[in-house]
Amino acid sequence: MPQDTEIKTNSEIGGSIRIGVDIGGTFTDFCVFDEATGVLGTLKVLSTPDMPGAEVMQGLTELRRRHGQMAADIGFFTHGTTVGVNTVIQRQGAALALFTTRAFEDVLEVARLKTPDPYDIFSRRPPPLAPRERVYGITERVLKDGSIETPIDPKDVWGAVAKAKAAGADTIVVALLHAYANPANERAVRDAIWAAAPDMTVTLSSDVWPVIREYERTVTATVAGYVQRRVAAYIGSLQAALRDAGVSATPMITKSNGGIMAAELGKTDPVGMLLSGTASGAIGAADAAARIGAADVLSFDVGGTSADVAVIQGGKPAFGTGELVGAFPIYVPTVSVTSIGAGGGSIAWVDDFGVLKVGPDSAGSAPGPACYGRGGDRPTVTDAFVVMGLLGGGELGYGAVKLNHAAAARAVGGIAERLSLGLTQAAESIVNVAVSGMYLEVAKLMSRRGADPRAFSLLAFGGAGPMLGSLFAREVGMARAIVPPTPGVLSAYGGLIADIRNDFIRTAFVDLDAEGLATLEHHACSLEAQALAWLREEQGFQGETRLIWSADMRYLGQSYEIETPLDRGDLASGRAEALARSFHDEHARLYDHADAEAPVQAVNLRLTVNGSVPKPVLAEAPVQPGPAAPKGHTQVFLDGTAHEAALYDRADLLPGQQFAGPAVVSQDDCTTVVPPGFSVEVDPRHNLILTREG
Amino acid sequence: MPVDKVTLEILKNHTRAAAESMAYTLYRTAHSTFVKETEDFTTGLTTPEGETFAAPTELGATWFVGLNYGRAIAMIDDYRPGDIAMTNDPYSGFVSTHSPDMHIWKPVFHEDKIIAFSVGHIHNTDVGGAVPASLSRTLSEVHQEGVRIPPVKIMQEGQLNRQVLDIFLANVRAPEQNWGDLKAQIAACNTGERKVHEMVARFGMDTFREGVADLLDYAEAQARSIIRTLPNGSYPFADYMDEDSVDGRPCRMKLTVIIRDDDLIFDFTGSDPQLESSLNMPTGGDERHVLLLVGMTYVLYSLDRSLYLNSGIARVCRCILPSGTMVNPVFPAAVGMRTLSCYRLHGLTFGAFAQAAPKHMAGAPGSGGPIVNVNTIDNRTGRRIMAAVSPMSGGGGGRAAGDGQDGSGANQGFLKNTPTEVNEAEAGIKVLRFGLARDSAGPGQHRGGLGTELVFQAFSPNTRVTARNRDRTHFTGWGIAGGLPGAASRFIRNPGTGREVDLGNTDILSIDPGDVIHVTCGGAGGWGDPLQRDPEAVLLDWQRGWVSTEHAHDAYGVVISGGAVDAPATQARRAARSKEGTGTFYDVGPERAAFEAIWTDANYDALTECLAALPVNWRFYAKHRIFDAVDRLAPEARCGDGSEVRAAFAALRAEFPQLEAAFSR
Repeated sequence: MPQDTEIKTNSEIGGSIRIGVDIGGTFTDFCVFDEATGVLGTLKVLSTPDMPGAEVMQGLTELRRRHGQMAADIGFFTHGTTVGVNTVIQRQGAALALFTTRAFEDVLEVARLKTPDPYDIFSRRPPPLAPRERVYGITERVLKDGSIETPIDPKDVWGAVAKAKAAGADTIVVALLHAYANPANERAVRDAIWAAAPDMTVTLSSDVWPVIREYERTVTATVAGYVQRRVAAYIGSLQAALRDAGVSATPMITKSNGGIMAAELGKTDPVGMLLSGTASGAIGAADAAARIGAADVLSFDVGGTSADVAVIQGGKPAFGTGELVGAFPIYVPTVSVTSIGAGGGSIAWVDDFGVLKVGPDSAGSAPGPACYGRGGDRPTVTDAFVVMGLLGGGELGYGAVKLNHAAAARAVGGIAERLSLGLTQAAESIVNVAVSGMYLEVAKLMSRRGADPRAFSLLAFGGAGPMLGSLFAREVGMARAIVPPTPGVLSAYGGLIADIRNDFIRTAFVDLDAEGLATLEHHACSLEAQALAWLREEQGFQGETRLIWSADMRYLGQSYEIETPLDRGDLASGRAEALARSFHDEHARLYDHADAEAPVQAVNLRLTVNGSVPKPVLAEAPVQPGPAAPKGHTQVFLDGTAHEAALYDRADLLPGQQFAGPAVVSQDDCTTVVPPGFSVEVDPRHNLILTREG
Repeated sequence: MPVDKVTLEILKNHTRAAAESMAYTLYRTAHSTFVKETEDFTTGLTTPEGETFAAPTELGATWFVGLNYGRAIAMIDDYRPGDIAMTNDPYSGFVSTHSPDMHIWKPVFHEDKIIAFSVGHIHNTDVGGAVPASLSRTLSEVHQEGVRIPPVKIMQEGQLNRQVLDIFLANVRAPEQNWGDLKAQIAACNTGERKVHEMVARFGMDTFREGVADLLDYAEAQARSIIRTLPNGSYPFADYMDEDSVDGRPCRMKLTVIIRDDDLIFDFTGSDPQLESSLNMPTGGDERHVLLLVGMTYVLYSLDRSLYLNSGIARVCRCILPSGTMVNPVFPAAVGMRTLSCYRLHGLTFGAFAQAAPKHMAGAPGSGGPIVNVNTIDNRTGRRIMAAVSPMSGGGGGRAAGDGQDGSGANQGFLKNTPTEVNEAEAGIKVLRFGLARDSAGPGQHRGGLGTELVFQAFSPNTRVTARNRDRTHFTGWGIAGGLPGAASRFIRNPGTGREVDLGNTDILSIDPGDVIHVTCGGAGGWGDPLQRDPEAVLLDWQRGWVSTEHAHDAYGVVISGGAVDAPATQARRAARSKEGTGTFYDVGPERAAFEAIWTDANYDALTECLAALPVNWRFYAKHRIFDAVDRLAPEARCGDGSEVRAAFAALRAEFPQLEAAFSR
């Protein structure tokens, strides 16, 4: 880990512009906050996947042109990137070798046995990132208590290194049994590798995420090793580009845990930032919702190919383990975001039995929906909205796309013919089927958490979220949908408001007795030192710091754990009963029952360190209740009939103004659909609050 | 009037959401660790007649798609709102197929009519009986397999029937677990009921009722269109379990799949008589019983994964189930370990369909690996440990499209293993190896999947090792279209030492401190001539440690030297061997071939015919006596035309004149 990273904070530099950037597959979003005025601005440019960093420069140039902002004014720069995820999905990462404990070389092949679709007798697991022919067993053994039964013989390791190099490996992942309990053998293997091959990139499972369960730890480490070189190269080029542009603020990157860290650290710790794009969206959604007093929210981020939804309860996004990077689960703390394969580009089709289906195929951004006029000719959800008269009032993506109504009608016409329906009925059928498919996925998600969707608000964002949000909220039974003022760039906004954050873990595997508590306390002290060193030394952060403790606990005999919040004081004072009670409470909250008599075990101790970054204070406009003035009217088709719908320009809407559906609100980067039966109010922060009547 | 095809798709999504929500509710609130680990449960919605129109696919057992609750529903009259009925009796209503499976169903009313049932089951860890966990191959009567609750209302108009609950819980070993799980089932049924009411409100009663009927018709139509792609014909196949009871005789299951346009007939004639062990499958003679159709559902879904999974699929098939056989046993035959028979039947079904769809289907799935449990004392804490070590699964068979999945797959894709680190931390054992068993895959142009392999060491005296579902020690998983069988499964104590013991199909034993147990699952069968396999693919398997140099040479004719394929030597080796092969569609391996040289189809047909004439309680005994008699024959006295079986049967009748009463009836 680099110890000399120079961190310059806002106040040192004096810049008053904060910039959050989210680099997606198609568009790169900018969210710009001017602390002097309290005004939030946005920008979208096309991504340049072949020239990482170029889109950021283009965006900065554009911002200067539009707003006269200078690089020197930028006091805070954070960004999220999909470069790591794309490396995995496109299989463009390192040529990995994997060193395991001898006799356990099949760990990635066996995985946890379960196949992706157990009903399909031909279902196969995806081929591992480290192919089995480049997995080498090392003679060594650590036991469950961390004691070393068989130490490393460097000559044995050198033999494996020679084979790995001959097989073309450029990165070696080391994942040995029980390395979570004692990393000494993994480190000895690394030293031996470097003695034989000083240039080799080495990733240790005990560095990446030292947690019990060998497959989970190994697969996480292989993903880390697989992306590291590309991520490091990307970060390096971005840093250079920012320097060249005169931005002196330390570039930060967003993390899968909803926080941020210095981009420099991503070069050696890339696994924590892989899923940062969706995590930032959830963080942005939670913040936007909290600012209007909504604590239980479903964030609904719909793009061209997928709808990413996250459950936010009590203002906090849920976390998950085993979230997927491409086809591979990673087990570092990650904001839990479920990706539903349905978006604006999802393609409608009719099966052999005359039943209308939508997805899972998508037109994506190339060729895109038929209405984009870029060569797509299959009917998509977006085309259906065009045919219904709900899209086309404005432009998509800041004029990047012009809509072709005739092409949309042609594409949807094929479906109408197959179903013997009118054109507009066919279009609405496509939308209704798409929405019911999303309903199915969200119903599962909510049931898994025991949550009742009717008590939730929907926060709709992304390019297609505001278009589908109200229809989806109605199907799920939610009474309220919120469309923030900048729905296209909420992930970028999420990065802007995120805290510096990192997670640490130790596997303890103890009973909650005196001996177990002593072990936990010992681990807690070492975690705390490690966490504070990370924050103070590696991040150079001296501000308001929070330590968030938890433990993965379970009843004796259970095979799964629950992350339970922990009071550090209870631990330090050895109050076992209080710790157990926290677990009983958490168990009851999640599973509706608990057994106060049953013995409790603590498997892992966790610590999250959080350095608070000052939050933007958004300007609030005065509220002037009254009807909003439409800029015109248009014919739309909704709920089986034609309506005369009012058309609004988002830029014209002022806080306090109200109107009712059917209506269409257009803005630079998206369109909000308001069906009959919904009323809308503009709140002081320019959010649209859609409320379902009755 | 049928609903339109747009509303149908939307209703389908809503019914699936209901079933999945029920499953998550059950999974979330269930008490027993067993449910969380194995997901051995179901939820669903049925019509008032009991046909399942919605079932979850993300959570729960894969076996019970399309279970029909009709017979159980009919055993209770006078349903009222708030009632919930339950049963675990394998001989009442034939929804529960062994005693640990507790099924419950709740009527959903609209106005004063039943419009649906909200249903589901959980496999209880224990329901009492002769052995802990209620399951053992040694049991012969259902009475030994725990308490039996015939269909009864556990809730009456929203009130708990305390007497019934108390009787149930008084008979089980861990009552708080059963009660906790039952509460989770009730919560799931209540979720289903609420979702049905929401759907009626959303779609209207008429659309809901018609739409549900259409969803069943839709799945049926999909299934029929898949069957129409297969050629008409009669496709017989048989397979065996090594033993029909502890140390018993081979147990034969026979299935003839008959395809007629878009209809299927499954004829089970030729399957063994009902057994004096718990391997019987209780179907009540129901010609569409779900337990018999699991393999069919797997096949149809795998041929077309857009198939919507519900009871409509079962309508395409009729089973012929001779009474008093292992696929239609009569009360009180034990049924607890029907799991093993079910696994064998899945493979048998895949094999029969392979004749009809050789371009799609695969060699035998890997099989015979047990679910390993260890019961020992932790030397440090003195605490007794009961740990589920791991299910030892096998892979999928090779097929035209490629090699089989290694380690799991086919009909075992739903299993999860226990991590080595957790086993060592919890089970009081040291794991010496966990991975894929070298040379276990059935060779072929596309090979079968490798079986899993586990080696572990115990540290305390009297460490009890149970290995449920052990099989395939003797008869191996067949290959197809020139492919060879997978390796046999293995269960060995102290391998490679002077104290080595081959445990065969033993399923329970005690071991001593320092003892080592080696267990593997049998490999999956291959597809196509192994001499046609790309030598580079064989080399890759060799580099991966999955094929030994000797096996590459012997099975594939590939000569590997210096870490590379020796092309001229390989060519020569293959040329010399190219005339080998059985020339039949299935390659069942030498062990089964030797057995079938004696037990020819004609002999087994004669056996089936003779035993069918006997009273049910005589059949198992008579089978063993006839096997003994045939064993005693000199090889030259065996004709294989059924005559030696009929002669042995005649001798048996002569020995037991009391049987004549049965023949004169």
